[in-house]
Amino acid sequence: MSEMITLAVPSKGRLKEQFDAFLGKSGIALKQTAGARGYRATVEGHPGIDVMLLSSSEIAASLAGGDVHLGVTGEDLIREAVPELEDRVTLLKGLGFGFADVVVAVPKSWIDVSTMADLDDICAAYAARHKKRLRIATKYAQLTRSFFAHAGISDYRIVPSAGATEGAPTAGTAEAIVDITTTGSTLKANGLKILDDGVILKSQAQLAMSHRADWNDERRAIAAAFLKPLGVEI
Amino acid sequence: MASFPTYGPEEIDALNGVADAVLGVFKHHGYTRHEPAVLQPAHLFVDRSGEEIRRRTYELTDPTGHELCLRPDLTIPTCKFQVDSGAAFPARLCYHGLAFRHQPGAGQFWQAGAELLGLADRAAGDAEMMGLAAEAVRAGGVKDFSMLVGDLGLFNTLVDALEVPAQWRGRLKRHVWRTGYFEKLLARMVSGEVNETERTVDALAGLKLMELKPAIEELIDKEGDAPLGGRTRDEIVERLMVQACDDSAPRLDPEVADLITKFLKVSGNGEAALEEIRVLTKPVAAKMVKPLAAMAERLHALKGMDIPLDKVRFVAHFGRNLEYYTGFVFEFWTRAGEVAGGGRYDTLLESFGAPRGTTAIGCAIRTERLLAARTA
Repeated sequence: MSEMITLAVPSKGRLKEQFDAFLGKSGIALKQTAGARGYRATVEGHPGIDVMLLSSSEIAASLAGGDVHLGVTGEDLIREAVPELEDRVTLLKGLGFGFADVVVAVPKSWIDVSTMADLDDICAAYAARHKKRLRIATKYAQLTRSFFAHAGISDYRIVPSAGATEGAPTAGTAEAIVDITTTGSTLKANGLKILDDGVILKSQAQLAMSHRADWNDERRAIAAAFLKPLGVEI
Repeated sequence: MASFPTYGPEEIDALNGVADAVLGVFKHHGYTRHEPAVLQPAHLFVDRSGEEIRRRTYELTDPTGHELCLRPDLTIPTCKFQVDSGAAFPARLCYHGLAFRHQPGAGQFWQAGAELLGLADRAAGDAEMMGLAAEAVRAGGVKDFSMLVGDLGLFNTLVDALEVPAQWRGRLKRHVWRTGYFEKLLARMVSGEVNETERTVDALAGLKLMELKPAIEELIDKEGDAPLGGRTRDEIVERLMVQACDDSAPRLDPEVADLITKFLKVSGNGEAALEEIRVLTKPVAAKMVKPLAAMAERLHALKGMDIPLDKVRFVAHFGRNLEYYTGFVFEFWTRAGEVAGGGRYDTLLESFGAPRGTTAIGCAIRTERLLAARTA
């Protein structure tokens, strides 16, 4: 059997539709494999590519681990899954959709806080006053840690959040959050505001390549042939 | 990735020999041996040392979902044990065991430590702990060492005494140990670039002191049912009151910044360095008397321990106010590197529920390094 590479694409939702449309502009179409229950597909004209339909976060983890050669998912998820991106994953192309920001948001009632420096003051004061660390709810523990370290903030603790992070301050499970937002309206509805310098990452859907995957010259040629019409040279 | 060595028969014998000698000294001075569990609840450390500790901690989740970690130090569990046990203060506890940290080199290391908890007389506690560490290092076979001492309490007092906008005092104290960042912070304060709360303060400008509180409360009320997220209204009001009482566009006087910079550069032979600080801080001499006297007393105590003062270096910027340390720290150095260290953590016991102001000072002897220092 000849060489194959794996391309992981979102299995459902807007990200999938938008990626299909993106490929369509270059005259490329994915074809679902019959009988594979919608988890596998092929690329017309590129028999060397095995397409796996996965969830966005699975794709990020697969790129990090080298289980797939190429993948399409949000930059936020890739950066969260791969702390030292450079040696492990290359972001080949921002796809121009799936835009969202990973931001630090605090309660609007904190009228004395508008920057990370304010948050630094608050974290220290909170620790001194309450004898415990201020809690930040997030599913982006890695991104949060490196952003906060850069801002010189250490007096806090991360509370892992699986979903509905924006509700944590109201629910009393955290004081502030790091979360993804597109328009900011969900944050606003939950009585939160984004810090002026609290944008951790301006994210969009990325076509990415894993260095940990099993590459050889033939597989690289297959990838290059697929990527060229999309405007990506590797 | 850090390495995890296996100790062979000779190594473990040698290590036990050193440990017995060190623990013998602790026991002789009334310190009772405790052995905290290797696995500890992760939040114990994160709540007290901050999220950064996670970068250096091995964490795991038990089958029921509890977050545990391999103890990154033994001080925190030992202090917790003391408070939970309800035993009387002052208390003298000691231990010898492995600590685990994700770091270059070995990810585990042996530590023999002593904790003197709840002794109200701080000067006596400082002297006892430095003397104990010196005796333990010597008993471990290392006679030739030098000492490094520092106390960020001096810096903190200086910042409080100088003309510094009140809202920036905490920031200077918190970041003093971050070289590079601190200098930039100081420069930004001098140029007045740090005015991020301007907008809020503007709304409060020109109000009389008695009008401030209701005005701030009104601003909070305008946010309707937005959550407070664990902070109290009073916390927000207090912080804004402090800011409103500063100038609306605060700046740090360049002369003050210069004094701070010069102060942090002081480093040298114990007594000479203190004299240098005395001269430098003359404009606020009255405020500096107490912490300077405390440091002088420590140096004096070292003389009685047969530690010649030309082997003791005082470094003004040395000291850890990060994690749970509160100011005074000391280290013992040999040609093989640091072999022991200690310091004060006067707020740690309170965090476990001990009465406010319960003091704590401790030291940790790196027994493996003592072995290395003997042959260096």
